[in-house]
Amino acid sequence: MVVEEHPKRRSDVSARAVQEELVVLDRAGNHIHQLNPTATFIWHRCDGRQTVQAIADEVAGAFAIDPETAREAVITSVRRFAELGLLDRTRD
Amino acid sequence: MHILTLRVLDRAVRIGCSDPAAQSLVTTAYGSMRSGGGEPDLDYTVGREGVPATFFIARKGRERLTAADDGRFLALFDEDFAIEIQKLRRDLYFVHAGVLRRGDVAAMFVTKPGGGKSTLCWALLHHGFDYLSDELAPVNLATLEVHPFSRALALKKEPPGSHPLPPLTPRTSRGFHVRVEDLPAAVVQSPTPLAAVFFLSYAPGVAEPAVRRISAAEAAARLYANALNPLAHRDDGLDGALRIATTHPCFELTTADLTPTCALVTATLERGP
Repeated sequence: MVVEEHPKRRSDVSARAVQEELVVLDRAGNHIHQLNPTATFIWHRCDGRQTVQAIADEVAGAFAIDPETAREAVITSVRRFAELGLLDRTRD
Repeated sequence: MHILTLRVLDRAVRIGCSDPAAQSLVTTAYGSMRSGGGEPDLDYTVGREGVPATFFIARKGRERLTAADDGRFLALFDEDFAIEIQKLRRDLYFVHAGVLRRGDVAAMFVTKPGGGKSTLCWALLHHGFDYLSDELAPVNLATLEVHPFSRALALKKEPPGSHPLPPLTPRTSRGFHVRVEDLPAAVVQSPTPLAAVFFLSYAPGVAEPAVRRISAAEAAARLYANALNPLAHRDDGLDGALRIATTHPCFELTTADLTPTCALVTATLERGP
């Protein structure tokens, strides 16, 4: 995964906040997912406009962690979102 | 033809039985819901025919179902009946779960098929719990009460010796069916407020049971995955799962030997939210 990629969540999945977590319903894929607070934070920023690096910078600030750890967390999460089919397939 | 009339979730059901074996099976399973006649909302004819004898299930509006043996017959009937009842009560949110009452409140027990839900329910009935259902939990989302669905308690295999089955428990090719009148507890007849939800986890060899509270988000996802008619409800049923999960404590229960597991469930409920 390239940190200049712009991950974009699919518009046809439903997401509902529950305290600091998120429940994501993918009807087309027939799956339901629970996102922990960190994954929720990253999910909200997968808007197709922010790069992986930009999201990582925000994660580092919000969670008070070093940039490398933040970058790894974002890459892992975005990769997982993609594996689960929750992101639009875009070309950067 | 013997006619069995039931009242299920306030709907009238008629089952015409043209064969004693078929009659015995549906009566074992659903006899506790017997009620007076009247124009049925759901009308079945069941029996056996042919050589060799094959069970059949007939209902207007669907193709005839057939089954080679008693277990398959009852399983097909259960499945069709559950679907049709959900259509008749779209207002209720159905979860695949066992439901028992302790005191004035209900606890819901959710797991995948074969996860030990019915065995645990059977055991809990010996420890101060009363019976609503071991299979379907119809929830009124406005009041958060669970309606009874007192089909016979179905076990795929004999429970551990600590909680043996009653003598002469009917058996089919697919398991045992404890008639409601043979349960060691009362049968609840009215909707009961929900107090807690337990998601069961079973692994052979676990020494002691354990319980941990889970987040509302995790509980909502798990409930949704076990909802039977989510699309009949707002927001594809996600609202319903969230409503239940955010208004009640939800737990993951790792089961072990039945007696300590039952004690842990009781203690968890008595501790309250």
